[in-house]
Amino acid sequence: MSLPGHDCDNCPAGAHLERMGIRLEKFDRLVALAGNPNTGKSSVFNSLTGLKQHVGNWPGKTVARAEGGFAFNGIRYKLVDLPGTYSLLSASQDEEISRNFLLFGRPDCTIVVVDATALERNLNLVLQVLEITSKVVVCVNLMDEARRKGLEVDVRSLARDLGVPAVGAIARTGEGLSELIQTVAGVIAGEIATRPLRPKHPAEIEEAIGELAPMIEAAVPGVPNARWIAYRLLDGDHRMRQALSTGELAELVKAEGAPVEAAQSKLISLQGRQ
Amino acid sequence: MLLWIAGTVGLAAAAAFALRKPWVRQRGRNRRADLEDVLKHIFTRRHEGREASMESVAGHLRISPRRAIRLCTELESQGMAESDSGTLRLTPKGEDWAREVVRAHRLWETYLANEARMSMRDVHGPAEREEHRLVADRQVEALDARLGHPRSDPHGDPIPRIAGDAVLSPARCLTGWPLGTPAEVVHVEDEPEALFEQILKGGLAPGTVVTPIESSADRIILSEGSRVFELSRLAAGSVQVRAVSAEYAQRSQWVRLSDLNTGEQGEVMLLDPALRGFTRRRLLDLGLTGRAKVEAALGNAFGDPKAYRVRGTTIALRNDQASRVWVKRSA
Amino acid sequence: MTGLREVIVKADMLRDGLAPDFRDQMVENLYLEADRISSRAVKQAGDAKWDLDQRVDRLVTSPLFGLPLMVLLMTAVFWLTIVGANIPSQMLATALFWVEARGADLFQSFGSPWWLTGFLWNGVWRGLAWVISVMLPPMAIFFPVFTILEDLGYLPRVAFNMDWLFRRAGAHGKQALSMAMGFGCNAAGVIATRVIDSPRERLIAILTNNFVPCNGRFPTLIMLATIFVAAQFPPLFASIAAAGAVAGIVLLGIGFTLVVSAVLSRTLLQGEASAFTLELPPYRRPSVLRILYTSLIDRTLFVLWRAMLTAAPAGAVIWILANIHVSGASLARHIADFFQPFGYLLGLDGVILLAYVIAIPANEIVVPTMLMMYLGAGSMSEMESFDEIRKVLVDQNGWTLLTAVNLMLFSLLHNPCATTILTIWKETRSGKWTAIGALMPLAIAFGVTFLVAQVVRLW
Repeated sequence: MSLPGHDCDNCPAGAHLERMGIRLEKFDRLVALAGNPNTGKSSVFNSLTGLKQHVGNWPGKTVARAEGGFAFNGIRYKLVDLPGTYSLLSASQDEEISRNFLLFGRPDCTIVVVDATALERNLNLVLQVLEITSKVVVCVNLMDEARRKGLEVDVRSLARDLGVPAVGAIARTGEGLSELIQTVAGVIAGEIATRPLRPKHPAEIEEAIGELAPMIEAAVPGVPNARWIAYRLLDGDHRMRQALSTGELAELVKAEGAPVEAAQSKLISLQGRQ
Repeated sequence: MLLWIAGTVGLAAAAAFALRKPWVRQRGRNRRADLEDVLKHIFTRRHEGREASMESVAGHLRISPRRAIRLCTELESQGMAESDSGTLRLTPKGEDWAREVVRAHRLWETYLANEARMSMRDVHGPAEREEHRLVADRQVEALDARLGHPRSDPHGDPIPRIAGDAVLSPARCLTGWPLGTPAEVVHVEDEPEALFEQILKGGLAPGTVVTPIESSADRIILSEGSRVFELSRLAAGSVQVRAVSAEYAQRSQWVRLSDLNTGEQGEVMLLDPALRGFTRRRLLDLGLTGRAKVEAALGNAFGDPKAYRVRGTTIALRNDQASRVWVKRSA
Repeated sequence: MTGLREVIVKADMLRDGLAPDFRDQMVENLYLEADRISSRAVKQAGDAKWDLDQRVDRLVTSPLFGLPLMVLLMTAVFWLTIVGANIPSQMLATALFWVEARGADLFQSFGSPWWLTGFLWNGVWRGLAWVISVMLPPMAIFFPVFTILEDLGYLPRVAFNMDWLFRRAGAHGKQALSMAMGFGCNAAGVIATRVIDSPRERLIAILTNNFVPCNGRFPTLIMLATIFVAAQFPPLFASIAAAGAVAGIVLLGIGFTLVVSAVLSRTLLQGEASAFTLELPPYRRPSVLRILYTSLIDRTLFVLWRAMLTAAPAGAVIWILANIHVSGASLARHIADFFQPFGYLLGLDGVILLAYVIAIPANEIVVPTMLMMYLGAGSMSEMESFDEIRKVLVDQNGWTLLTAVNLMLFSLLHNPCATTILTIWKETRSGKWTAIGALMPLAIAFGVTFLVAQVVRLW
């Protein structure tokens, strides 16, 4: 999936990549980093941003939030590390934070780090992320571990099936990360088209979502991903219900012009207070 | 030395102050709670097909007949209940109120068991108190939403929402169940406590499937897979069961995940309905869904927890959860 | 807002129409799809070294060897720390105290007043010198070794091995992870309790984290173990005996953690043990750079810096207390005398208690404070070996084995340092739990040392 002529797995990343550490005041693009626990997500984060990073808490929560930055081809990226989770469906704080950031933080692109040795488990999360956003790049990390265990991972096949680019990597040594960044840049610029796989749910659920989603779109014009919101409502997600009924959701949609970060912080702090 | 003693006493006093129990109840609330308890009593009696009277109210609430009469009169004057030659009935208004209290009670039990993850043993008492507060503060609706609109409480009772909703689970008593036929527990009565304790000791919760294999005048012997245990007839009277579906009937051929020996493999068939709320969601998210391949990978010094390989990862589970996951042993 | 209400009503209606287990179906569906995709993308080429992980796991979690191996590993880490830190510690002390003497000389030759020289060099600088020489070498060994274990993935196995015990105490097995972090720093341990989902069990983990001795308290334990325990053994086994004594104290701390957790979960924090799911990740080769970075920069220097920030003012305070004389004796002496009867009840003495009061901001400076107090304002540049310290404590200040044992117990059990208390407040946002987190260990420390002292004296 890499761009033609840019197949640069081994070229020094430093040629284009400048780690920005914590100089985050100004950035051009927002990238979210998601993944299961123990997939080497933090290695990817550290390799991309350098060792200095801004660590704080998510507003109103006792969940650590790490931010870092890097510049690539003159564009400054801000990377937000989401909590490591197996899923986005449960009601744990971590999952809620990831879910809300993907939906309302509106990252320009989301990198999902997966463990090449346990692809099946990790793809569960990838599929859930794809339900929320289509601008996704899958980073298949720990390729060396997979090889050690006698596993051959066909990244192309993965990308074809998922409908989004997938890049093999060994974050510990930095291998594959420059390709990852290029791919992220390509997806953001629209040079790489994504058609995310969204598996059909059982018929009765599809029907219910099909009925509810247009109503949500009508009630909150311009809402991102009404289908996902519909699904969350059906699943009895009371925070989503609250965001909808108090008009928070609509406010967030209206605030689209404002910096996404501010909007996100507001939502989370609102939720954190109750 | 004196200073030290004074300091210590001061600190202890400060700690005691910080830990003091806030006044939970005022007198006014007590009265309201009593009224609601009367309403609830009449409501459940009617749904059980029995009649409520002043005497049954006094008996159930353990109050003097005079107080019972006073409470019932007040309900009548508020247009909540009517007395018809000794039998108490609820007006539609009273019925709505009573249902709200029952709903609050069952929702709070659900919250405690599923989200706060308290033992089934400990949920009834707090719910008896909390139901009144929830209704008074109009928080029932919000709690329902917060819990994702559950349909039944941890005892297996349906949670009624609007008029006409079922209040009791359609089920039969375990005492009358034919021997040798598997039955799924749908409801466990949590009062009286001594019997409930017995039932819990037997490991019975809604969702468990048991087969009565022997019955005598005072006890019933039950089997649950490889486990055989007995229950007094009295306790069995508090357990409601229903026929199991064809899928559940196969359970006799399955084993509990916790019973797999180290190195043995199996396929997940079913997550016991007794796994609810947060725990159920967590296990599903970890990949313990139907048809998942599992292998018992590691034990430890205490035999609990054990670790299993599921979808390429080793996950440790405590036996009380792993025993709620049914698997088919692979050859 | 029109429409919003309708959306919610509609959602509630549609939900009632769905099968009760639709959520199960959806997750199953997702996993089926994931299975399909991954089986297409992944091919098993060989079964190379797959078994090694499992074999190691079978050993470290083995019913027979799992727990003994854990204790052995812990002792080995302490032994390595004690043995490795001994000589660099003495060299650092020699060097830094040499600088102190030269500095003071230099100041005097410039004609600076005695109080300025004393305050800066014998107060502030000496506090720093003590903290650096006592703390830096053990930390520079302990943290990297610990980080290696962490990076390898051994810690989740510890949680796995010990979960049953925690469960009996009504707590969560992941408490073992936060305790492991507590060895480094209790404040970090309190933050690490975030991995526990249930608020009740998390609070238990927060309130009991103090019972694992942090790195600021290890020097005290190590010093006492070396002076009083190792001295009873032939030189060949001395370091092993010292490591064993430290490990014993740590095991005692784990015992206290379990007992206090059990008491809390039956009194203030009642409830059942909750759901427990713990991933045992595959063993990973630790990356050297990362280990050096996290252990040296993130942990060692961070902790050291914090210790220095508190040691410098503490050194100044001690110097002032020791040099302001009221009615014939120094202020420090007066205060220590005031604490003395209470200290005696606990099998300690007034100086030790005063040291703990001064050390509330950071536990690291307890031993330096104590020694500086015992030695008065006089020079102590010759305090280079543990033997000398032993002489000062036993011969000049009447320490007995009881004093040493009770000081170890007090060090293990007493209130957390100010940073940890602040962290407890930040994590719980509750004055009540912060107060309990601070006062409960103190009460336990008083109670235990009092009992031990009385029992020993009765004999």
